Amino acid sequence: MQAIGLGPHGERPFPADKLVLSDPEAERARAGRFAVAVVLHTMSSDWSRQELAGIVATLEHYDATIFEIVDCRFNKDRQNRELLRLANGPIDAVISLPIGTSGVLEGHRAVVNAGKKLVLLDNAPSGLRPGVDYLSVSSADNFGIGAIAAELTSPHVPNEGVVGILTYESEFFVTNEREIGFRKWMGAERPDATLVRGRFASVEEAGAAYERLLTMNDDLDCAFVAWDVPALRVLAAIKQGARTLPIVTVDLGDEIAKELRKGGPLKGIAAQRPFDQGAAAANAALMGLVGRSPPGWITSEGLKVTRENLDAACDALWRKPAPPPQQSR
Amino acid sequence: MGAMPSVEQGTAAGAKKRRVGRPTTLESGGGSLAAILSLIRNGVATTRLDIEREAELGRAVVSDRLATLERLGLIEEGHLGPAIGGRAPRHVRFRAEAGGVLVAQVDRASLAVGLSDLSGALIVEHHEAVDLSDGPDAILERLTVLFIWLLDERGGKSRAWAIGLALPEVALIDANDGDVFNAAGLDVLQAWRNFDFATELSLRFGAPCWVRSNTQMMTLGEMRAGGARGFQDILCVRLDRSVSAGVASDGRLHRGSQGYSGLIGHAPTGEAEDITCRCGAKGCLDVVASGEALAREALAAAKDGRSRYLAEMVERQGDVTANEVSHGAQLGDAFCAELLARSGRLVGETLAPLVNLLNPAVVVLAGALAHSGEIILAAVREAIYRRSHPLVTRDLRIVRSELAGSAELIGAAALALDDLFDLPRAREWLPLGTPRLQPSFVNFLATAKAQKRRPQASAPARAP
Repeated sequence: MQAIGLGPHGERPFPADKLVLSDPEAERARAGRFAVAVVLHTMSSDWSRQELAGIVATLEHYDATIFEIVDCRFNKDRQNRELLRLANGPIDAVISLPIGTSGVLEGHRAVVNAGKKLVLLDNAPSGLRPGVDYLSVSSADNFGIGAIAAELTSPHVPNEGVVGILTYESEFFVTNEREIGFRKWMGAERPDATLVRGRFASVEEAGAAYERLLTMNDDLDCAFVAWDVPALRVLAAIKQGARTLPIVTVDLGDEIAKELRKGGPLKGIAAQRPFDQGAAAANAALMGLVGRSPPGWITSEGLKVTRENLDAACDALWRKPAPPPQQSR
Repeated sequence: MGAMPSVEQGTAAGAKKRRVGRPTTLESGGGSLAAILSLIRNGVATTRLDIEREAELGRAVVSDRLATLERLGLIEEGHLGPAIGGRAPRHVRFRAEAGGVLVAQVDRASLAVGLSDLSGALIVEHHEAVDLSDGPDAILERLTVLFIWLLDERGGKSRAWAIGLALPEVALIDANDGDVFNAAGLDVLQAWRNFDFATELSLRFGAPCWVRSNTQMMTLGEMRAGGARGFQDILCVRLDRSVSAGVASDGRLHRGSQGYSGLIGHAPTGEAEDITCRCGAKGCLDVVASGEALAREALAAAKDGRSRYLAEMVERQGDVTANEVSHGAQLGDAFCAELLARSGRLVGETLAPLVNLLNPAVVVLAGALAHSGEIILAAVREAIYRRSHPLVTRDLRIVRSELAGSAELIGAAALALDDLFDLPRAREWLPLGTPRLQPSFVNFLATAKAQKRRPQASAPARAP
């Protein structure tokens, strides 16, 4: 499947697996011995760890140093503070996942003003100029991933059924794209279905948000949760007595893979390729450092994961086997 | 050929009901309210003293109008300024969050929607691929669904104070006019002629709508917030599936007598004389240098083996576009690099006489091709400097767009807000607190509704 989502400013996608340094560029990158800092929204998800693994492997391949890895724990103030600190550090570039489109401009702007190269993951803060302030945004085709999630959800929606979309409260480009992609697919393929939305302010609050959504919509038939970590909270809420509904989510983390293996309420996962996305971000940073303008919007296509193809999916995305059934809780 | 629709709904003064007794500020103070709000909004005067001086109004009147604007939710007290021999003055702040502008852009292969605040800053935007051959009804439905999604949990319909819409130039041609373009080449856009997007969107969202061409909106956007920010004389070139240009002179957007200025894609190049353009002529810039031309050349090169990268892409995905040419050039494919360089040279040579004529301070290159890397930008620069008079290129800046595909949305918001807060219009709606209630606009909507009911009622928009 070809990536179908456009970038934060309408950029056409460049495939992540096609982004490579030429031999002379690789030579210059190695000779540069660049230092790169990585600033992530969270380190609590397998997605983050996979993304980081892609970044680290690529930078190490080109003899670049990981100066520091920062976990912002979904805190915008913390992200601004850390970026302001890093802006004055002995680094050449920052790879950052902005926590939302607003509220984190100050820190990112400081990095740019200090003359460091900036590559973004997933989000572009409003006010940062593409190709001027930052080199690229590396992400998944989240619009397409929303469509995959809808396709996975559809068999669990009865005729004229009700689908809940449980998404993040903050203005986040990728979760918005997932929701729009999900709605567009449902609108075209399942016009009979009614879509309702609930929001969670923090990952920890996702279970409570699911229960609120159930209270407000007692005819709910299934739910799409924006990514795996809040989906695990929803599954925990179900275990503790909340109504059991078919659940579909995004991102193939270790824990969510175990849940899918079990064959419980979790019916499917629209997976990203975080290792490839991280590798592409690192490549984009190195390209910028050796004087080439990388594409503005680099994406990898999503993958439909069900219990049936879990092993193959884990093999493809993680480059390691899926968690065995006996490890399941 | 008739004029391109310039939608400025509800400009006629609405009838006011006169009450007995002394008029209130809301009844009589529209002019001074609008003037004071304009000073605050544009940052000309933000303390009471400065407002009194700039507006040439007395203290009591200024106090009364500020209290009214505060009550209407349009201003609020801000920070304290530095004291100059007395009490520190309190600044007043324009509440940009009091309302919003729905903005959209429809292009040949994509559409974009966004919501801006009243300062014109985009709060949220979304871009997606579309197929114009689905027709204007389908696009209107999609815009409606996306607008509803944008407003949901961001203030609802009442937050939409205005709508700004950018459409492809050829979609704005009046069906009653002569067929200036080859109809066969434009079959996809035939259905767009005379489709009244502005009225349809106004009816659905209860807000006045402004429509301009994509290129004109992009030019305005680049002048307000992009590569031409701070300049008054600019030439903005859109290098995308087709090539077009917008001109601003003395800070004003040039639209042309009929609103179609900027069709430079139909300038003759002296090359590719065997290829007929959709306008009927041969060798136009569009057929040799546009994204569509590049895609055509790329496909041929993939088939006859001139580009290994393009051949691989055709094998992988069945087709190639200008996007793949950009990617190929970035990956070091010599054919792709040469194709982009040729395109840049031809665009630059077409622009050179315009640079001589207009003497702009900045030439902004926008559109997908402009962001394909350094090759095309360098080629355009080289051709302009080589072919233009040294006097006009001495201080000329040739830059790439800093807004990418958001320029049209920012321009659409800027255009709508400029007109919304223009004194004659603002005077009419300000006392009512929102332009949605402007009497002349309400009358316009009532008339449009009545006219729509007469022939055939259209299906209501489905909720997203």
